[in-house]
Amino acid sequence: MEETTDINRELMLDANATAGLLYEIFGAEMTASPTECANCGREDEIGTLLAFTHGPGIVLRCSSCENVVIRIVQTSEAIYLDARGAVYLKVART
Amino acid sequence: MKPTLNWQIASITTIKPETPNVKTFTLKLPSWMRHRAGQHYDIRLTAEDGYQTQRSYSIASAPEHEGEVDFTVERIEDGEVSTYLHDVVLPGDRVEVRGPIGGYFVWEASMSEPLLLIAGGSGIVPLMAMLRHRAAAGANNPTALLYSSRNFEDVIYYNELNMLSKANGGPNVFHTLTRSQPASWEGYSRRIDEAMLKEVAGPLGRTAQAFICGPTLMVESAANALVKIGIDSNQIRTERFGPTGG
Repeated sequence: MEETTDINRELMLDANATAGLLYEIFGAEMTASPTECANCGREDEIGTLLAFTHGPGIVLRCSSCENVVIRIVQTSEAIYLDARGAVYLKVART
Repeated sequence: MKPTLNWQIASITTIKPETPNVKTFTLKLPSWMRHRAGQHYDIRLTAEDGYQTQRSYSIASAPEHEGEVDFTVERIEDGEVSTYLHDVVLPGDRVEVRGPIGGYFVWEASMSEPLLLIAGGSGIVPLMAMLRHRAAAGANNPTALLYSSRNFEDVIYYNELNMLSKANGGPNVFHTLTRSQPASWEGYSRRIDEAMLKEVAGPLGRTAQAFICGPTLMVESAANALVKIGIDSNQIRTERFGPTGG
């Protein structure tokens, strides 16, 4: 594999790492739930999304086309969720 | 009805050094819940001025081990949480945790396909939970672990892995040391590559379910190599550790 100097890529995680926050937002375990990328149409479990967690917000990208699927910003009063990169999210009833 | 995922205050019962940079912390939880091997907990620290920071740590213990949870944590230089756990915390201290969390990177003994585990450094931790669960549940699906470490003294759980591999139906355990090797080293001595994966994974066949956990670059190259040797990408699950941030 080619060497990369992109620090964001080196710090990249999987969306598994954001399971706790997603649970807080949706009230359900989300990482094994499917979603569809609005850009390329790939359907896969949320846990497969690439997670960039070292900025002020969290960005989850499609593992196939790397388009932004979900963005989350937390403040002391609220959590902001931008999921326009997803055609849908499945939230299991608990 | 699933219980909601609330923060709870756990107390640290024991701290066990594993390698010069890695310790296992055993936490007793007021409301322990059975986890699935591969899941993690979030650990949250709050400073006196209200500043909070949290990290996810993989569970090292088997779900069969009730009431307590083990976390094996590598000390990351400049890390906010791992340095606190390593340098400050003592048995009897308390930390806030929530979990178990995660449904993607999990293995259960009821999954009967051959199991291929690939670890880099402290990426062994969730895979160890799987191996401990497998042993506790008496599963006998063909299983192989390929574990890459820098030096021999960095290998976590070396003795336990040895014991597991010698047990009846135990996993085949392969080590590779990428930086330095002891004089009589019989394992691999290079980074994980396609040829190595062929030798390790070949006997498991193409239906093997693979779990890869380690630093991002190692996970990517191992996953790509697995696809090249014919394992379908749908059978490969990854969990990347950033090299920093703990």
